[in-house]
Amino acid sequence: MNRRRVLAALAGSGLTGASVWVARNGVPSPGDEDAASGGLPRTVETLDAPGSTAGTAQVPSPDAPTVVDLFATWCARCDEQLASMRAVRGDYPDVSFVSVTNERVGDTLTRGDLADWWTANGGEWTLGVDPGSGVLAAFGANALPFVAITDADGEIVATHSGVASAATLRERLDTVT
Amino acid sequence: MRRRTYLSLVGSAAAAGTAGCLGVLGGDDTPTVLPEPDHEYDASALPYPAWGERVPDATVPAALGDATVSTRETETPALYTFFYSHCQTVCPVLVSTLRNIQTHAANNGYADDIALRPVTFDPERDTADRLASYGERMHVDTDADNWTFLRPAGVDRAKAVVTDDFGVTFKRTHPEDMAQYMFSHAALTVLVNADGYVERTYRSKSPDEQQLIADLETVRQA
Repeated sequence: MNRRRVLAALAGSGLTGASVWVARNGVPSPGDEDAASGGLPRTVETLDAPGSTAGTAQVPSPDAPTVVDLFATWCARCDEQLASMRAVRGDYPDVSFVSVTNERVGDTLTRGDLADWWTANGGEWTLGVDPGSGVLAAFGANALPFVAITDADGEIVATHSGVASAATLRERLDTVT
Repeated sequence: MRRRTYLSLVGSAAAAGTAGCLGVLGGDDTPTVLPEPDHEYDASALPYPAWGERVPDATVPAALGDATVSTRETETPALYTFFYSHCQTVCPVLVSTLRNIQTHAANNGYADDIALRPVTFDPERDTADRLASYGERMHVDTDADNWTFLRPAGVDRAKAVVTDDFGVTFKRTHPEDMAQYMFSHAALTVLVNADGYVERTYRSKSPDEQQLIADLETVRQA
């Protein structure tokens, strides 16, 4: 990250909405590794839960189109987002699915609590945690649920604030598979 | 250089530059720890409290328990945000940002060194019971000393504190597809230092949690 971009980041608190993310992350360009480090891909901790194993994962997944679902357990409609992802997942075997919450794990919300929520709501793919909300920032999400679809090169081809229906997901996925 | 490293270096320099000057007005000294944000307008012309200004003087009851909080009687840095619990989009993001900071503080041993004060502008519906269950749903530790839901006593008082004092506008709306009223409202999170001066006002609907934590750390350690 160069100095001008850092200064822009420091000033970012004075900006709102989308502009703040651009200021913080810069606009990634090919070969600009510093810019990419503030953007995508990002590595998240993954949890032991249905369809997910404890460890780490890159978001978006390397070398595969990816449906990235950003959620929180307090979010009333985030369970609907899981349902529409579940409805289409079987038809896109080459697409990676990952859900990430920005909730920080601690005494009031443990990894086990997250796995329980995941199980209760039918999650069956990679479950990640993003303390600090770096993934949210990288995708420019400012409401949940938020879905992004990336192509096999990791480029964002679509984003959706609010619940993305199964039909919407299919329409977008058909452009990257 | 990674962003956080740079931010903390800037913070350290600013802390060194103002060490011993906290609370002293006049000359080039400022009552703040963080440097003035880079903006092109006059802070005093803004409708909300901005860098270097004293926090608005307000005394508001805690929603849970019998305590009252006076904004200028503070011993630790404090973060304020403004919300209503029926809100489904912006407010839970603002409140969960404070909640995530509460957990970061608990995990990193500075829980006693901060105050987190979300203020409801819907005291009619945001009763003690309602906010207790809302806190539970948001995974807030409402028993912790550092967390206080503030609830102005009535609609008029909410407007006086939230809009007149803190500059956060809110207006009832009646969405056609909903039986209940909602609000259109501004999004604001305010960082106040232990001397009661505003260090930062974050106007984002999704405040940058890492930046808040870094700014808070600089202010805490001054």
